[in-house]
Amino acid sequence: MKINFLINGNKQVLDVDPMRRLLDIIREDLQLPGTKESCGEGECGACTILLNGEPVTSCLLNAVHADGKEIQTVEYIAQQPLGKLLIDCYDETNAVQCGFCFPGFLIASYHYLKNDGEPSLEKIRYALSGNICRCTGYTKIFESVLLACQRLQAGKV
Amino acid sequence: MNYARKVDARAKLDGSCKFLDDYSYPGMIHGYICYARFHHGIIRKIIFPSDFNLSEFVIVDYKDVPGSNIVPEPEKDQPFLAEKEILHWGQIILGIAHPDRELLKKFISKIQVEYSNLPALIDMHECLDDEQNIFGKEITIDHRLGLTIDPSWIRTRGIYYTPHQEQAYMETQGMIAIYDPDASSMFIRGTMQCPYFVKAAVEAIMGKTVAETVVETSEGIGGAFGGKEDFPNIIAGIAALLSYKSKKPVKIVLDRSDDIIITTKRHPSRVEIETFTNPAQKTIEKMTIDYRLDAGAYQTLSPVVLARGVLHSFGAYQVKDVFVRGRLLRSNTPPNGAFRGFGAPQAVFAIESHIDKIAAQLDLDPYDFKKINLLHSGSQMPTTQKIIDDHISDCLERVIANSDYQRKKDEFAIYNQQNRDKKGIGLAVCFHGGGYTGNGEKVLRSKVRLRIEKDARIRIFVVNTDMGQGAYTTLAQMVAESLDHPLELTSMELPNTSRAPDSGPTVASRTIYIVGNLLRELALDIKKSLAGSSLSTYVKTNPEMFPRDYFREFSPDPSVTFDEESFRGTGYRDYSWAAAVCEIKFHASTYHIEIRKFWNVLDIGRPVNIGIACGQVQGGNVQAFGYALTEFFQKKKFGRMHGFTDYTVPLSYDIPEIFLEFIHTDSPLAKGLGEIPMDYPAAAVRNAFHNATGIFIDEIPLTPERIFNQLRNQK
Ligand code: FES
Ligand code: FES
Repeated sequence: MKINFLINGNKQVLDVDPMRRLLDIIREDLQLPGTKESCGEGECGACTILLNGEPVTSCLLNAVHADGKEIQTVEYIAQQPLGKLLIDCYDETNAVQCGFCFPGFLIASYHYLKNDGEPSLEKIRYALSGNICRCTGYTKIFESVLLACQRLQAGKV
Repeated sequence: MNYARKVDARAKLDGSCKFLDDYSYPGMIHGYICYARFHHGIIRKIIFPSDFNLSEFVIVDYKDVPGSNIVPEPEKDQPFLAEKEILHWGQIILGIAHPDRELLKKFISKIQVEYSNLPALIDMHECLDDEQNIFGKEITIDHRLGLTIDPSWIRTRGIYYTPHQEQAYMETQGMIAIYDPDASSMFIRGTMQCPYFVKAAVEAIMGKTVAETVVETSEGIGGAFGGKEDFPNIIAGIAALLSYKSKKPVKIVLDRSDDIIITTKRHPSRVEIETFTNPAQKTIEKMTIDYRLDAGAYQTLSPVVLARGVLHSFGAYQVKDVFVRGRLLRSNTPPNGAFRGFGAPQAVFAIESHIDKIAAQLDLDPYDFKKINLLHSGSQMPTTQKIIDDHISDCLERVIANSDYQRKKDEFAIYNQQNRDKKGIGLAVCFHGGGYTGNGEKVLRSKVRLRIEKDARIRIFVVNTDMGQGAYTTLAQMVAESLDHPLELTSMELPNTSRAPDSGPTVASRTIYIVGNLLRELALDIKKSLAGSSLSTYVKTNPEMFPRDYFREFSPDPSVTFDEESFRGTGYRDYSWAAAVCEIKFHASTYHIEIRKFWNVLDIGRPVNIGIACGQVQGGNVQAFGYALTEFFQKKKFGRMHGFTDYTVPLSYDIPEIFLEFIHTDSPLAKGLGEIPMDYPAAAVRNAFHNATGIFIDEIPLTPERIFNQLRNQK
């Protein structure tokens, strides 16, 4: 089946099995390995992408779900002003440990920053509740996102 | 300089850091494993599905092994590929490769293994309660003085259980093997903690068919926690075999469910403690400990986990008369292995729960009771090792002050009288020995290499891997600091066995403590040779001397001795110390424990990088919260787990406020840190629950079901 979609700003037409996992299309067919697979069953958020602006787990989606849609992956988000702000904050607090979960956290926190951005710990916890991190204990992740929200509010971006 | 940003952070944030599954090589095919899917039995026949073209698949079994089929590290008792008898559900029988990953998995899912069934032991209680299952050598620490028990002494007895715990590193296990027939060489890339273990494993399985084996890690290692200490040996061996047979690069990356089913976990434990306490002096006079671990189907690392476990079992207390007996028991579950803490979390849960129990019997606050009995400068462990400082008391005093322990305790007592929900506060203290147990470091004799380039860049060659704990950054910092050299000009190379000498495995909180300090000594020596000038100036003025390599080997302190038979002597040269307070709320309607606040005070000597050190404590704490509250394997599901749907690790909304303080940071020595934050939280949670409800539960996790049953039984 032919599918058409916009990925990271570029038009793509692919002829694939409609049931091929979107995650595999992104990682293998399109060679964008920043999106990770950890559980493959929608529980951990390592494979999070933005589909029409909403965070979704790409391991649970198939090629058909992408048809006619717009996809953004970590490679793209990392270059956006809000993505860069988040990267700076995660970096400054030494929040990153093994890093395997972080592309997913970057997407989820980017979505939060873009659509809400209130420096509220409770809201941030909720926004990140679909992502598992086994290394950091989350504390520095919250700290980093709070910091990014505060900087955004203070207009320092 | 005790803060620096992590050198690898940005690449991990923007997705450019390469983890194992992000590597690909020309002609590479996918490998995978086929495992038993029954707990115990004899293989009779393997039936391949008929609707596939068998000739497309590369298949290896034990008969294909040109070298030895026994994994050489750590205990030589586990085969790479099963021969006849299967001892656990996840035991690997075949390695299979095919260019198409999906087709490969379909094929494997249709393979049938016919077998005759044998009785299997998979329940941890059945295993641990039955002394018939004894496995390997027992350890004793006998420091009995033959005291006669005074009739006035208070006897306290408890049996404490802890479950399996899954490492749940976010990146599953994976290996790539590239065999080059012309050069007769094997290149291995993987996600691992111990490149030289993997090298030894590949050399063992390949025997004389391969002349040279080189092991290198992937750029990013997506978490390990001990889970990538010995298990990678097996898949590296199988990947090598598949590459040898197919003459193509082969990549194996495990799916989450298979990773959970077949890989090593934390040992379930049963620790029985009996103490006699003098009620007048409030001192513990006599203590007997029976420490047991469920080793699983093979011994592998268990004897060393047992050794560390018994050496932490008596806790941070001064007791006159002590007898410890440590044993391994056998079951039909995957061999249990290394997991952050390595026998200590089990030991600390037991002893810290027990101390609370004694305090309750004496009607004393656990804090007051601990204070009287804590180890202090000049006191002796049951191993006869002398304690040289009062840092554990300092940790305790600080954490009591930081958490406002006394006031909270009073306040909660009032709250609990007026409310159905209960609040509680609990305490735990512990030590953790840095580096290998006993004579381990003497035997290992780690080696490190530094290279100074013509442009005064320093490159560090060691095989300690950065699995997230920050080795790339902290080791570079230690070298740069010692040489007063810019950190930007100092970097650690990707661990590779052909370039780095054997600096030992990345385990036992030893990376900074042993390898970092070794690098530091080497750098200080180099500094002395610079005749007062800076490295950059020296290199500029003596260009003919560079590039130059420097080496150093660990030289053990001859005054440090340990007897492996009697377990007397210096168990560990240096201990890190910690004390913690946990505040919980017990929700009476849901039987759910909510951890609200958690305070840590630690003595780890000098923190090399305060940001990284804080992250280690927070991360270790949260793994331990999962251990205390939610993480375990349901018996009936053993071998049938999926992943994070039926194994629940802490999520963002489970996280309490975590406070921490490091004390005695002016010490010149950087001690171990990686493991200790995992050791004590479970006991602190359990003790807080006791404070809240007056109920002792001596087994974790404290799930609502367990609490409900305990409350019902008490009524
Ligand atoms: S890999 Fe998709 S949610 Fe875990
Ligand atoms: S940093 Fe390792 S899983 Fe999050």
